Amino acid sequence: MQLRHVTTNLRQGLRRNLTMHVAVVLTLFVSLSLLGVGLMVSQQAGETGKYLGNQLQITVYLCVPDDPNAPQCTSEVTGEQRQAVEDVIEANPEVASYYFESKETAFEKVKDIFGSERFEGRNAVLTADDLNESFWITLKDPDRFEGITSALTNLDGVSSVRDLRQEVGPIYAFIDTLKYVSWAAAGALVLAAVLLVANTIRLAALARRKEIEIMRLVGASGLLIVLPFVLESVVTALIGVALAGGVLAAFTQFGIIDGLAERLDFTAWIGWGEFWQTFAVIAVVGPLIAVVPTLLLTRKYIRV
Amino acid sequence: MIRFDKVSKAYAGPGAPALDNVTVDVDKGEFVFLVGTSGSGKSTALRLILREARPTQGRVYVAGKEINRLAGWKVPRLRRQIGTVFQDFRLLQTKTVAENVAFALQALGRSTKDIRRVVPETLELVGLGDKADRMPEELSGGEQQRVAIARAFVNRPMILIADEPTGNLDPTTSVDIMRLLDRINQTGTTVLMATHDHGIVDQMRKRVVELEHGRVVRDEASGAYGFSH
Repeated sequence: MQLRHVTTNLRQGLRRNLTMHVAVVLTLFVSLSLLGVGLMVSQQAGETGKYLGNQLQITVYLCVPDDPNAPQCTSEVTGEQRQAVEDVIEANPEVASYYFESKETAFEKVKDIFGSERFEGRNAVLTADDLNESFWITLKDPDRFEGITSALTNLDGVSSVRDLRQEVGPIYAFIDTLKYVSWAAAGALVLAAVLLVANTIRLAALARRKEIEIMRLVGASGLLIVLPFVLESVVTALIGVALAGGVLAAFTQFGIIDGLAERLDFTAWIGWGEFWQTFAVIAVVGPLIAVVPTLLLTRKYIRV
Repeated sequence: MIRFDKVSKAYAGPGAPALDNVTVDVDKGEFVFLVGTSGSGKSTALRLILREARPTQGRVYVAGKEINRLAGWKVPRLRRQIGTVFQDFRLLQTKTVAENVAFALQALGRSTKDIRRVVPETLELVGLGDKADRMPEELSGGEQQRVAIARAFVNRPMILIADEPTGNLDPTTSVDIMRLLDRINQTGTTVLMATHDHGIVDQMRKRVVELEHGRVVRDEASGAYGFSH
């Protein structure tokens, strides 16, 4: 019976305050969607980092005479210098593996990439001698590249140390920006949602003040008075969560699985696993955003 | 049933206290008028009984329990033993007469079966058996007050508190309302009525407690509004 009283009140409350509830639902919907996008983007950043990190190597180029990229190189790297570089690499605990690439191997690679005909005969734009010898290093933890890079950069005979991570830096920066922008927008909208919920409760309490007063006087329990308000909030929150979940699911299927992952294969992409993790978060955050202010405010407006 | 033991109540700010060292005892089944001018402390006394406010000093007992010390969550249980009627009726305009009365029971979680049985009985008791489906605005002031009394009494409380119940009614209608309250009192319900309606108090010849500036200046077993000679 109490249940029926509560559901009647709930239905009336939702109907009477319809425009405010729609506003709450929409705000929750957009803020939770953005929060979800932020979470998925940051998962994507982790995914990309893992994927690229496995392939990222540090390359140490050794000096050639008149090295165009390195004024400190005055002559070809000596055997001693090369040995010294190798010793440093060997001794570094972060190094998983490394190999040496000779001028000839490098030349083969260049010919492979650009076509061999430009590099043969008398008019060759480049000979093996122009290319740097190099060490290719794979790290145990691709994120801990700074130690070895700085240890090698200033050694004699080193032309330059290239870290692929620097080259993919802009991608990371872009992902980070996307992540922070969507979190900032989600944060602002969550605040808006909380304020809207607060306003809705205030209006609902005002609209029902006579009922509430009578309920208090006849001795209705505080729970029974507050319950319709809490349930109203829960219902609007759940609708918001469902809508945001739908948008994120569509984003996962059409944006990522059928879209980006099909066309761009320079990285691994997130999928349904990450979607469900994200959905779990917004399914908890959404009701919290709605119910916590409701509980706080009903205590204030409906002093039992 | 209701006992004020050296009760004082001061509101924040300057000025005399609303109640000043009041001691009154109301027995079960009594009918008591609480009289006095506006600001004499009548409404404050009623608010203390309902635990809408707490005394600054002294103790208030309702049905043998000291209610100042009552935990907040037990207050609803206290209020279930007290029916309340106001000068301005306080009916829900969007509900019919029967729904208004039923609302009090729904708010307490009573079963539909109970409600269907008790509401018509109570409307019959207050003489509105044929107006169950009317809206409050279709009723006269006296009828609206009967609905309010039905709502206050439908849960069969031990105590009925009425704050100026005839304040908005003409003398003839007021007499009808008093007869109704008297009938409720006959069922064993303690009635405490705040009023400054001289005619009614003089006519009913019930116990009168008079307040002036928050003090009890008179407590007569069967008094009139003014001092009896």
